[in-house]
Amino acid sequence: MTSRRYPLIGLLLAAAVSGCRAAPKAQAPGDPLLDAIRAEERAGNLTYVESQGKALFAQYCATCHGDEGKGDGQNASNLTPPPPDLTTSGNVHDKGYVEKVITQGSAAVGRSPLSPPWGRSLSAQQVDYLVAYCQALGRSKS
Amino acid sequence: MEVKTPTPGRLHVAFAALGLAFVLIFSWVLYHEGTADWRATQARFRQLEATVKNPHQLAQAASVEGLRQIWLPDLGRVDRCGTCHLGIDDPAFGTAPQPYASHPGTWLTTHPTDRFGCTVCHDGQGQATDYREAAHRPQPFVARPMRPLETIEANCGACHRSLDPPDAPRLAEGRRLIVDSGCVACHEIPGFEGVTFRGPALDSLGYKVRPSWLGGWLKDPKSYLPESKMGNFRLTAAEIAGLQGFLLSQRAAAPLDSTGVDWKKADTSNGRALFGELRCVSCHAVNGRGGTMGPELTRIGDKVRREWLFSFLKDPHRAQPDTPMLQYRLTDDQIRDLTAFLLDEYRSSDTGAEPPPITYQDARLVADGRAVFARRGCASCHRLASIPDSGRIGPSLASIADRDPDELPYGSGEVRHTTENYIFLKVLLPDTLGSPSMMPTFGFTPADAAKIALALASIRKSDLPASYVLKPDPPKPFRPAGPFGELVTRYGCLSCHSVGGYGGTLSTVPLDRIGSQLKPDYLTKYLLNPGAVRVSVEARMPVFHMLPAEAKTITDYFESVFLDDDLEKYDATFTPADRRHGQELYTQLGCQACHQLGTQGGYVGPELSGTGARLKPGWIAAWLIKPEKYKLGTLQPDYGLSAADARALTAYLTSLGSSDAARGGGGHAR
Repeated sequence: MTSRRYPLIGLLLAAAVSGCRAAPKAQAPGDPLLDAIRAEERAGNLTYVESQGKALFAQYCATCHGDEGKGDGQNASNLTPPPPDLTTSGNVHDKGYVEKVITQGSAAVGRSPLSPPWGRSLSAQQVDYLVAYCQALGRSKS
Repeated sequence: MEVKTPTPGRLHVAFAALGLAFVLIFSWVLYHEGTADWRATQARFRQLEATVKNPHQLAQAASVEGLRQIWLPDLGRVDRCGTCHLGIDDPAFGTAPQPYASHPGTWLTTHPTDRFGCTVCHDGQGQATDYREAAHRPQPFVARPMRPLETIEANCGACHRSLDPPDAPRLAEGRRLIVDSGCVACHEIPGFEGVTFRGPALDSLGYKVRPSWLGGWLKDPKSYLPESKMGNFRLTAAEIAGLQGFLLSQRAAAPLDSTGVDWKKADTSNGRALFGELRCVSCHAVNGRGGTMGPELTRIGDKVRREWLFSFLKDPHRAQPDTPMLQYRLTDDQIRDLTAFLLDEYRSSDTGAEPPPITYQDARLVADGRAVFARRGCASCHRLASIPDSGRIGPSLASIADRDPDELPYGSGEVRHTTENYIFLKVLLPDTLGSPSMMPTFGFTPADAAKIALALASIRKSDLPASYVLKPDPPKPFRPAGPFGELVTRYGCLSCHSVGGYGGTLSTVPLDRIGSQLKPDYLTKYLLNPGAVRVSVEARMPVFHMLPAEAKTITDYFESVFLDDDLEKYDATFTPADRRHGQELYTQLGCQACHQLGTQGGYVGPELSGTGARLKPGWIAAWLIKPEKYKLGTLQPDYGLSAADARALTAYLTSLGSSDAARGGGGHAR
């Protein structure tokens, strides 16, 4: 009897071990919540940080710069000089420059004073987000 | 008794074996600890540090040797993540590879590690000292592995309990959806105590709606109104018939008498003009455009009866005391024209003629419908005097995120067992999780359902002490009495404006200090004929057709109650030099980018030609110095103005409109 039982136990052990090893791989359970959020991110073609910037851009910037940063916001026609097209502007690649314009206003880089300083209204975190989104606008075209 | 003693030889062998085992285990531990991954990780960090920093900085840098941990006794946490994440709070490692990279953003400035540690935000196993044990990825038997960035905002919500948490847009959107979708009507949800949600009262529904509309609405509310807040209850045909019979038998209060109204004389073109003039679209959308406070009117002609609409427009609070709808002061002829216009213009092409009034009722249907009404918890949203208030029909969500994930249903798919995934699926498809569900299907997009799930997952029996939790008190209701109180009710002021945070958010102007902001003459004129102060804002204050005496009552109240002493005591004697300096500043700062002056300038902010007649100087100065103090998220930038510069600008602005500069109709463009 014993001589027949040992292989059986060995077999069970082997099966248990391989089962333990294989289990996580074979199941590969889905994460529907995560999938839904990632699908939304993919649709917007923006990272998390950039999409945060997009929401701020819509609130603070889009009236002049336009929803997509093309310089075609509803208030753009009232401005001389008009707001630049951020999707083609070379300046958006310069992170420090963008940050300076956002926090200190366009006058701080020797341009017109029409783009106001937001450094006292926005948190440093929010400025980071906005910079990231402005740079993403440049990326989508280059 | 004879005691058996082991023979000395055997004892020696046992001791020797034990000793050997001990030595083996001890050496294994030494070897294991001596060669732990984190030691190699720290060695590599020291090499990296030597390349990132100059010798002086290196000499200053703290030595990196051994386990590093943050002990947070009040949180009951020990986080050893810093053992490997060595550059986490050092900006010099901004572009270093993981695990050495510095923390992105400014999060560690607002959430220093010595107070918050790591796992409060990120989850994972803080005490672990190797990659796998720390649960950077989901693992069997680890209840809370590290969160991916996509869902991290759920942890923001554990401390940040306000309905509009900062810098957490998904959480904020999830909470907004919870408020707007009326989840609180059926579920108790911690953090939403100040939120109420009510559907329309149904006591007189038999007089209000067309029977054909009611059937379609009960079957699928979204077929009538894609933006409907009511979910689809997946009712059977028999349940719909019962509910229809029951609800149409609700005829508590007949509409106001309109027998004297000659509908043949109704002038729909006058109704159209009124519809525009009264600014109905500030609150009601038509064809997808307009406000969202009131129901969309695109197919209102398919829904309501003529007599009811006439009566509702004449006195909305009679039919529904808590409606946000205001009571315009209109003549019966004007109401008739408006009613006729709405019913004729906004309907489907196949809408039949006005159905005859309902005079019958089927006792069996009424009984069936009453049972369905009670069973499906309709009373959680809709008040009905004949049905006792049964409270919330759904379970409390107070500890939803603490439930054992393995005991929850997930439907047929292979889904990782987390409470978040369960909540997500439940919100998205309530009836597909394997057990029959009373919860209606709201038709959320997956992205919206995910945000709601994140917001709900942030609610757990908190392991965070109260000193970490930021929870604003719900605003105190503002219910003024007397003639002013009656006017506030009649004109629905608090549907759009707020006092002490209580009331609506449609208006950009809270009323808390309005008496110190606006000049009384301007205020009275504005109430009688509200112009557009902000040209680009679509929602406008309705034209109430208010009586002059009423405008005076409101103005007097504002001027005596809604005051801010700091603004009132401002010294408004300006010199010509102040004014000149202010005018220069106006151009230098680029104010014209957003503000119109005459025909020049942008239209983001208010038009400024009449400022002198409109605003009190103390308010102008205070607002210019610190706009965020008075309105979070305002588009007025904070220029960091000195008191003197703000004074100069105030001098200039108050000179506008009180002299010839204002003439020529600068007042209200459009």
